[in-house]
Amino acid sequence: MPANELTRLSIAEAGERIRRRTLSPVELTRAYLDKIPARNADGRYYLTVLRDEALTAAKTAEQEIGNGAYRGSLHGIPVALKDLVMTRGIRTTCGSRILKDWIPETDATVAARLAAAGAVLLGKLNMHEFAYGPTGVNPHYGTPANPWGSDRMPGGSSSGSGAAVAAGLCAGALGTDTGGSIRIPASLCGIVGLKPTYGRVSRAGVVPLAWSLDHIGPMTRTVTDAALMLQALAGRDPADPSTAALPVPDYRRDLERDPRGLRVGVVRDLFFEHLDPEVRTAVEAAAQALANLGVHLEDVRLPRIHHAGPATFAIITAESMAYHEPYLKTRASEYGADVRARLLTGQFVLATQYLKAQRARQVLRAEVDGVLRHVDALLIPTTPIPAPRVDEREVTVDGVTDDVRGWLTRCTRPINLTGNPALSVPCGLTTSGLPIGLQLVGRQFDEATLLRLGRAYEAVSPFRDRRPPQAG
Amino acid sequence: MTSVPTALLQSIAEVLARVPVDPADLAANVAQLGAQLDGLARLDDLDLLDVEPATVVLPPTEVPHAR
Repeated sequence: MPANELTRLSIAEAGERIRRRTLSPVELTRAYLDKIPARNADGRYYLTVLRDEALTAAKTAEQEIGNGAYRGSLHGIPVALKDLVMTRGIRTTCGSRILKDWIPETDATVAARLAAAGAVLLGKLNMHEFAYGPTGVNPHYGTPANPWGSDRMPGGSSSGSGAAVAAGLCAGALGTDTGGSIRIPASLCGIVGLKPTYGRVSRAGVVPLAWSLDHIGPMTRTVTDAALMLQALAGRDPADPSTAALPVPDYRRDLERDPRGLRVGVVRDLFFEHLDPEVRTAVEAAAQALANLGVHLEDVRLPRIHHAGPATFAIITAESMAYHEPYLKTRASEYGADVRARLLTGQFVLATQYLKAQRARQVLRAEVDGVLRHVDALLIPTTPIPAPRVDEREVTVDGVTDDVRGWLTRCTRPINLTGNPALSVPCGLTTSGLPIGLQLVGRQFDEATLLRLGRAYEAVSPFRDRRPPQAG
Repeated sequence: MTSVPTALLQSIAEVLARVPVDPADLAANVAQLGAQLDGLARLDDLDLLDVEPATVVLPPTEVPHAR
C-alpha cells in the first residue's frame, strides 16, 4: 500500500491489519515519519519529532506481535502527544519559551498507558502557550496550519494535535481541555475530539492550566478511534486522587449498537444563541439525522447555564495564576503577551469570587445532571463559528461583536465546569470549505453512550470520508 | 461593562500580590475584568446560601495504603 494511503488509515483499520500481520508497524511508522519533515516546515505541527525512538518502538512492537504477544488495538499505532504531557527524557515545552529546554524525569500516566498499550510515540505537538488560549496562535513556535485553510486558526489550545491528526501526520493524538481545548481544535480541524468525564483519565504528569477544570482525552479521525484510545487511558490512578475508582467499560462493545430509542436533549439556552448561520444549519441537520436513525429528540432547558461563563472565568484565572505565579515574578518577559496578560488577571479575582464560582459550579452541575436523568445526552454546537482567520481578533455574528476567544469557548467551557463527558464530531463544511462540529454531552462517566451516538451519527454525516485539501 | 481603575489594579499587584506588573498588561487586565465583573456579581442570583464549594476535601474512596 502506498505511504500516503497508510497515513489515511484509521487506528481501527491499521490496528486490524497489524493484528492480522498484513501491515508492519515499522512500515506504518516510517510512512508517518517520512511525511512529517516536509509538512512540518510550513505547518509547525510538531515541536519534537522522535524519529529514532519511534522506529525502535515500532520494531519492538513488530517483534512482540510476531511472537504472539499482541497487546491490543493500539499496538504498533503511531500517535503523538500535546507538548504538556510529561515524557521521560524527552523535551516538554508546553509551547513556551520558559520551558523550552525542560526534560522531565518521569512519564505522565497517560503517556505511560499509551506506551503500555503498545502505541508508538512519533513526537510532541505544538500548542497554545501553556494551554491558555483557544486560538492555537503561538508567538514562540509559530501557529500550526489548519489543513482546511492555512490562513485559518487551528483552534486551541491543542492546536498541533488537531491539525496533525487532520493532516494525517499521526494516527491519533492526546489533547487537554480546560475550556474546550480538545473540542475546539477538533471542530475547527474537522476531526473527532473527546473530553472524558472529569476523573475518568488521570491528570498526573500533565502540566496543569487549572486543576479543577483540566481534562485529558483523545483526538482522532473517527469515533471508533477515540473509543480505542480512551480504553487505554481511562481508569483510576493513585497518582491523581481526582480519578474515580469506577470500572472502565469496554468502549467498543456497544459502539455499533443501533441508537434507536436513545433520548437526546437539544439545549437552545446559550448554545444556540448567536450562531453563524451555516453552523446552525449543519447542527440542526445533524439533529435531524439522529432523529432519522430513531433517536428521540426533545428541547430541554438549562435556564441558569449563562452563569457558566463568569464562573469559569473566576476559576481558570485564579487557578492558572496560582500555578504560574513563581514564573510571573521572575520570568514574566518570557511569556507571550496574550498569555501573560491573561495569567496576570488572576491576581485581581477575589477569593470570595473564586469560591462563589465553585459554589455556582455545584448548582450548574446539578442542573445539567438533572436534565440528563431524563435524556441520554445533550446536543449542542461545538463552536458557534467556523475557523476564524489567524489575524482575526473580533468576530460579529447576528450583530453581536465579541473577542474571538469568547466565541470559540462559549459552547465548550460550561461543560468543563460541570465535568460531563463531551464529544465533538464533524457535521459538515461551510460553503468556503471549513469544518463544523457537533457536540454531544453525556452523563457523568457514560462516555459509552456518547461514543455510540457519535458513531451512529458519523456513519450518516455529510462530512464522512471528507479529507482536508492539505492532508497529502 | 464595569470600569476598573488601572491604578487600583497596579496597587493590588504591587502591594497585595507582590507581582511586578507592566502597565501595558494592565490595560488588558482592565478589559478582561471589566467584561466579567457584572457576570460574577450575578452569581448571587443562584441562591448559593446552602451550597458548599466544589473545593471541599472529600474522604478517600478507597483504603489508604491498600495493596
